[in-house]
Amino acid sequence: MIPQPAIFPSTHQEPSVFFSSRWLLGLGLLVLTSMAYAEIPAVNSEEVALGRRIYMEGILPSGEPLKGMRQNVVQLEGATAACETCHRRSGIGSLEANISVKPITGAFLFATDDNRPMALLDTRAANDITKPHAPYTEASLAKAIREGINVSGRQMNILMPHYALSDKDIKALTAYLRQLSSELSPGVGEDTLQFATIITPDVDPKKAEVMVRMMHVAFDQRNVSQQVYSGRMRSPLDLLPRKLRNWQLKVWQLTGAPETWAAQLAENYRRNPVFAVISGVSNSTWEPVSQFCEQEKLPCLLPSVPLPPTKSSFYLRYFSRGVALEADVLATQLRNKEIKSPQRLLQIYRNTEVGHGAAQKLSEDLKGSDVKVEDRILASTKPADIKALLKGVSSQDAVMLWLNPADLAAVNKAAPKQVPAVVYISGFLADEDYSFVSKAWKSHVRVVYPYELGEKRQKNADKMKQWLKTWQLPLVDEPFQNEVFFDLLLITDLSSQMLDNFYRDYLVERTEDMLSIGSNVSAYPYLSLSRNQGFASKGAYIAHLDAKGELVADTEWLTP
Amino acid sequence: MNNGDEIMRCEGIQERGVIARQFMLKVMIIFAAVFSPCLVKAESLAETVKTVEATHFNRYVAEYKLPDVSVLRQDGQKLAFLKALDDGRPVILNFVFISCSAICPMMSHIFSKVQDKLTKEGQPFHLVTISIDPESDTPAMLTEYGKKFSAGPNWSFYTGSRAVSLALQKAFKAYRGDKMNHAALIFLRPQSGKPWVRLEGFVSPDVVVDEYKSLLHPN
Repeated sequence: MIPQPAIFPSTHQEPSVFFSSRWLLGLGLLVLTSMAYAEIPAVNSEEVALGRRIYMEGILPSGEPLKGMRQNVVQLEGATAACETCHRRSGIGSLEANISVKPITGAFLFATDDNRPMALLDTRAANDITKPHAPYTEASLAKAIREGINVSGRQMNILMPHYALSDKDIKALTAYLRQLSSELSPGVGEDTLQFATIITPDVDPKKAEVMVRMMHVAFDQRNVSQQVYSGRMRSPLDLLPRKLRNWQLKVWQLTGAPETWAAQLAENYRRNPVFAVISGVSNSTWEPVSQFCEQEKLPCLLPSVPLPPTKSSFYLRYFSRGVALEADVLATQLRNKEIKSPQRLLQIYRNTEVGHGAAQKLSEDLKGSDVKVEDRILASTKPADIKALLKGVSSQDAVMLWLNPADLAAVNKAAPKQVPAVVYISGFLADEDYSFVSKAWKSHVRVVYPYELGEKRQKNADKMKQWLKTWQLPLVDEPFQNEVFFDLLLITDLSSQMLDNFYRDYLVERTEDMLSIGSNVSAYPYLSLSRNQGFASKGAYIAHLDAKGELVADTEWLTP
Repeated sequence: MNNGDEIMRCEGIQERGVIARQFMLKVMIIFAAVFSPCLVKAESLAETVKTVEATHFNRYVAEYKLPDVSVLRQDGQKLAFLKALDDGRPVILNFVFISCSAICPMMSHIFSKVQDKLTKEGQPFHLVTISIDPESDTPAMLTEYGKKFSAGPNWSFYTGSRAVSLALQKAFKAYRGDKMNHAALIFLRPQSGKPWVRLEGFVSPDVVVDEYKSLLHPN
């Protein structure tokens, strides 16, 4: 696409000649500053801390649990009564069906209609969720919280409980709300929005390169389309004031041993404190990255990693649990009493975090079942070593290969004539490459397959393929590139919906709510997140290879 | 993730275009919101449509053709859904998901109160809660969820595959495209073969109990 020259300047507000005069600006700033001082009471950090406990945990300053009453019948207490449950961490609220949970940070509550921001642009909100109203005062806020009557004198939605808060409690809560999401997050500049993506050193450079190229193209496209906006009104929503921010991408390529990554990440972050980490890729561990993001409260959204850390964190969200999910799916299948299971299952894996993690999970899952699990580590691909590894495997046994394509090919080639009853393969690790499968093995191979199959998959993938073609980008690894593409569309949609509310907590909340809505361009059948859900895809198929070498599902989508 | 395909096909990732399309969608949604109750009314038996302004809910009588699917109960038992519904007890049914923060806890609290009232009066009943996030809401998690609302032996929670949950939501005309778009709905049926009463919006436990009684003992 050739960018059209802008006919009019964009919606970016140009300062008028009058205001460009420096001393006037300076004076304006001075007045603004003094006004701000006059309006906003000094921050009392002790009150803020007490308010935070009410808001986040449902604990009153007295130590008693917060109590709320809905509809005069439903009593809520403690954590379930906490404001955060509905208004969320950011305080900017959310939208559940047609019920809008209002933004309640100081910037929304205490502002006048002229300076109150908009919270959200969502197709589901028939009305803007930030309705005009007089600024709240502490007294009118207390009335809303205690009696459910808002500042305009109207009864609020019955989902809003009535809370019996004391004046002291209200003061603490107000202090917390005044400072909540009051400063844009790091990485958000006046006219820039910075993102990073992270690549660990074990990743095939071809894969890393294609990811970075895809991201740069999408960022450029997005920045250009923002700039070429002609100023013509296409819909009333085009008049929404919003800042134009150019997206910038920082590529954090890690090197060396995982123990050194934390320091590298810290240095990168010090140089460029980004707003969020989008995508990213690893073939080994993601633990140091996850720890870093958690520590910096930095959203790290949907990277392509084979075994995400199990510890859940608000700021870290993944496509799936990777090979750990595959282990659970296989265990579900092997524990199914309706299917004849092997008596012995031999797991073969590399002694890496991923290989070991997968094998350990499957062993745990099958503890106490009828299937006896044996672990064997693949140390070399020399035929003699592989033969030794597979020694004693009978046609009654099953084998699970937690291996990458090169190792799979070597094992198949050197395997003894005696074929195991079933050869299970990890779909995540096999990288879509089943060309290695020998004639003897073909009817025995079963793939634990975490992606969609057949036409639906093709339809979803086609959207990306067409985009790659348009921008002359190579197709190196389809499911992986689908993930990157999905992330790019997601972040574009989210940022558009968030308007100017670039707070990290809000970004994560929007990710939670948005992920299952709209078209799916990923390789997964269905992606969905929610509060407290870290992983978007939750199942896998068990599939076999047909005559043409294509995967065909043997089972329904199994969700352990 | 709205309009992902169009974004890709046209001028690439273009925020303004998305906004314009979202506006159109918005108009369509308002349109749908205004007219969909009429659709439900049109296909309901339509004798007893009444709107109770004060508590903001609508009542419809409707017949739903339910699919013969197998579901998983909170105790891990695999069951034929129709059989589980037709066990002779009057059914009061809703849809929730565990990670839902606003509407579902409210719906479950209402069910909890209804359960207490009917149990106290010694009435027969079967509260049925179906998960609309079945891939996350496992039987074990539903058991825990039930405990939070003091669910007794007459309150069952069902999950299953995503396809099954979708089929059930669609059969009850409760599907709105996404779990975050779900609405507050309660369905009552006095016995197998009878039509359902559909309550849309938030109702108090008393309204549900009164509805139950009037269905079981009409005049």
